[in-house]
Amino acid sequence: MSETKTKEKTTEENKTMSYKIIEHKFDAVVVGAGGAGLRATMGLAAEGLSVACVTKVFPTRSHTVAAQGGMSASLGNMGKDDWRWHMYDTVKGSDWLGDQDAIEYMCREAVPAVVELEHQGVPFSRTEEGKIYQRPFGGMTTEYGKGAPAQRTCAAADRTGHAILHTLYQQSLKHDANFFIEYFAVDLIMEDGECKGVIAIDMSDGTVHLFRGHAIILATGGYGRTYFSCTSAHTCTGDGNGMVLRAGLALQDMEFVQFHPTGIYGAGCLITEGVRGEGGFLSNSEGERFMERYAPSAKDLASRDVVSRAMTMEINEGRGVGENKDHIFLHLEHLGPEVIEKRLPGIAESAEIFAGVDVTKEPIPVIPTAHYNMGGIPTNYHGEVVNKVGDDPDKVVTGLYAIGEAACVSVHGANRLGSNSLLDIVVFGRAVAHRVADKVKPGTKHKDLQSNVVEKIMADFDKIRYADGDKTTAELRLELQTTMQKHALVFRTGKIMQKGCDKVAKIVEDYQNLKLTDRSLIWNTDLIEALELRNLLSQAKVTIFGANAREESRGAHAREDFPDRDDVEWMKHTLSYVDENNEVSFKYRPVHMNTLTDECEVIPPAKRVY
Amino acid sequence: MQYRSEIKRVKGLGTAKHGFSHWWMQRLTAVLMIPLGLWFFYSLMTMETVSADAVIVWLQHPVQALLMALWTITVVYHATLGLQVIIEDYVHGKAMALTLLTLIKFAMFAMIVATFFSLFKLAS
Amino acid sequence: MAEFSLPKNSKITKGKYIKAQGATNVRKLKVYRWDPDTGDNPRTDTYEIDMDSCGPMVLDALIKVKNEIDTTLTFRRSCREGICGSCAMNIDGTNTLACTKSMRDCKDTVSIYPLPHMDVIKDLVPDMSHFYAQYASVQPWIQTDSVPLPDTERLQSIEDREKLDGLYECILCACCQTSCPSYWWNGDRYLGPAVLLQSYRFLADSRDEYTGERLEDLEDPFKVFRCHTIMNCTNTCPKGLNPGKAIGEIKKLIAERHAL
Repeated sequence: MSETKTKEKTTEENKTMSYKIIEHKFDAVVVGAGGAGLRATMGLAAEGLSVACVTKVFPTRSHTVAAQGGMSASLGNMGKDDWRWHMYDTVKGSDWLGDQDAIEYMCREAVPAVVELEHQGVPFSRTEEGKIYQRPFGGMTTEYGKGAPAQRTCAAADRTGHAILHTLYQQSLKHDANFFIEYFAVDLIMEDGECKGVIAIDMSDGTVHLFRGHAIILATGGYGRTYFSCTSAHTCTGDGNGMVLRAGLALQDMEFVQFHPTGIYGAGCLITEGVRGEGGFLSNSEGERFMERYAPSAKDLASRDVVSRAMTMEINEGRGVGENKDHIFLHLEHLGPEVIEKRLPGIAESAEIFAGVDVTKEPIPVIPTAHYNMGGIPTNYHGEVVNKVGDDPDKVVTGLYAIGEAACVSVHGANRLGSNSLLDIVVFGRAVAHRVADKVKPGTKHKDLQSNVVEKIMADFDKIRYADGDKTTAELRLELQTTMQKHALVFRTGKIMQKGCDKVAKIVEDYQNLKLTDRSLIWNTDLIEALELRNLLSQAKVTIFGANAREESRGAHAREDFPDRDDVEWMKHTLSYVDENNEVSFKYRPVHMNTLTDECEVIPPAKRVY
Repeated sequence: MQYRSEIKRVKGLGTAKHGFSHWWMQRLTAVLMIPLGLWFFYSLMTMETVSADAVIVWLQHPVQALLMALWTITVVYHATLGLQVIIEDYVHGKAMALTLLTLIKFAMFAMIVATFFSLFKLAS
Repeated sequence: MAEFSLPKNSKITKGKYIKAQGATNVRKLKVYRWDPDTGDNPRTDTYEIDMDSCGPMVLDALIKVKNEIDTTLTFRRSCREGICGSCAMNIDGTNTLACTKSMRDCKDTVSIYPLPHMDVIKDLVPDMSHFYAQYASVQPWIQTDSVPLPDTERLQSIEDREKLDGLYECILCACCQTSCPSYWWNGDRYLGPAVLLQSYRFLADSRDEYTGERLEDLEDPFKVFRCHTIMNCTNTCPKGLNPGKAIGEIKKLIAERHAL
């Protein structure tokens, strides 16, 4: 144990704040206990490393639990399939912004990954032959896009994320991993460009903990809560991304935010793409199945960005449904009660609770809703965080790793295919465990920290704890969310985004004006929400600034003033940085247009039609 | 309890590897009490006069005496099992619980012995 | 003896009443508050809520209080769609999830307390660590002796898979667990409905090969047989599951094991 003192003038009274720092030393520290974090934790524990998993919510409350439709893998249980076809679909889905080496790795590893999950006990739905049931999903095809839709998405009814997350937690229990539950990670310990640990607050008693690790693995998920209407949980605030920006490192491709076509109108809760996979369809106010016009061959199972744009266009052209003609209907009443009960029971329940709809009789009112962040912490396919230093676009940051939605490997490029995210978390959670096991010898000694990095972090923390301006966290957060909702939505234009950039910059500045009421340390959610907002703000800023800078339309980033994809100028990853004065700057990294092996070929850019 | 892990608390003294027979006997005796209860109350109701003499005559019949023995044993055993559950549920002081559990078991034996003694005495 | 009244320092006092200015469509929230730092007894604060600017669920109303009236109000929440199990609390006398409980289905003044019979950390946040440890103690992971083929899944028939329906969906919210009087009196030794439901999820899994060991470990006057089929668990489950039935199935399996 060591003790540091930070002197900080508080507005209440002048007093010396002292925080006792409790130090823990592990071989590896995982931050976050969603699917990716748990897979990594479990893997590391199984490899014999000492590992701590630090998480702000109990593991099974992480938002992986809300994933519904399934996890893609070319098992071929429901017809011929090939991982190369899966790779092709993913590259096409990414609008050629995905790194093809990483995509190859993910699609190839998908089959063993899902088999491993089954062995660990995931209660997948079954086929007549007793194999894992697979359903069609958007953008998944056969024969390199030329064949019929693929049935590739392995499902446990419509609760696949729940089934997988609980199983992974159970496996972590089996392997006796160390969990630090309801600990909020504040900042990374960076020294000489290396990551050496992470500072976290134990919410139950307010003690400050320094977790030292030779590998710090960020699995903190996305930052959906930058938007007013999102399918994400209240806790999806991208804390790892925020920490990375404060550490002076980059976030990649943050302008690419996926809008899920079918969030429940009003509530924002997710209705899985699996509904359309099982035969559901969208209709406008004229009762027309309008997707047939936008995607003649894939129809309702086109890629998510395509469907969201089509829905938005229908609404903009006055063919929305409802009193204000501002949403769309999703039909599944024709599927019959049996299919619904067997394959989509959770959807029926959600629609009933949040839209008051009996899905066997009426359509569900839906609207495109912020859902997933393709962007995140840039990594290679081992999960090692990379940064562009000089001419080297792939310089590894020693000691730091990122996986899951927090990371940008990038396997999703400009648009993620449905059911590729559960795949992503499991494959790269496993990959990072292997990589760390290769690099870190169990029990390696930790060198003492030389700098005053901990004091600095605690000074910032203390400043926020005693913030006494005139705006509450909720006020600022609402301003941010409504701004993002208005200025960085499905369709974007330079003019609107420029306004949004100005507004967001103003809100970021306003954070200096924050007011907290709760000064305590035990379960102080006023403080935790303020720390989360700090993370949201910087991410929102790089998102909208990055979007404004990218003058093309690609995947989920659709600009009305630049409607075409520009492969000459923009087939590159955006790296965004935020400096100490909150100024955003960009660097760019090339897309990896190479494969890992000669078992598949690079897929050259082509026009993306579904 | 401070500084002990939750797992230590949860695992406690480990599993007793019994508990089923108690649960099962409570249900068996409950089922048995239905016909025996019907017999008992039917017999009392159909007696011309429920005087001590009449009851003595009634119980001197071997079948009636046997059924009576069965009925009292069942009721007393069932009650003991039930009281045990109540004590385990609500009495948390170890000494008090042990005392009460011992007392009800003694009471059970005493009542069974008293029943047999009485029936023998009536029959002889 | 089991205590049937609250200890002195847990007696609830009357707290503040906060009016909603200029609102016409008003509902009231009566919320249990306890601040661990003051040492004061718990209290119930009452907040008037303007329903015209509030979402439909109890969680929306709580968030409105936290955002606009009292930022110190403390409760757990995450997914807001009834799948993560964070916001389990006692609403109008019933344990449920605040995020799926509609204000329309509540009394005019909605009474909100933490899950009953748990140690309270602050306001509506109970200490769940004992429950989690109990969950871990039943070894809730698949256990086999046979090694599955590395490159293919284990097979399971549709019928066998159906036996897991109503079991694997549990979200560990502890609503059932803390609604059970038997768990209130003997929570240290009785595993409780949620944990037993999870235990049965593995007993019922055709792929698990440790049924015998699991049953052996469960057979105990306290672990399982404290269940007196009161059925509060089944009545309160916000996901519509039936822990009571699962416990019954465990008892049946134990009976079968004893060749009855």
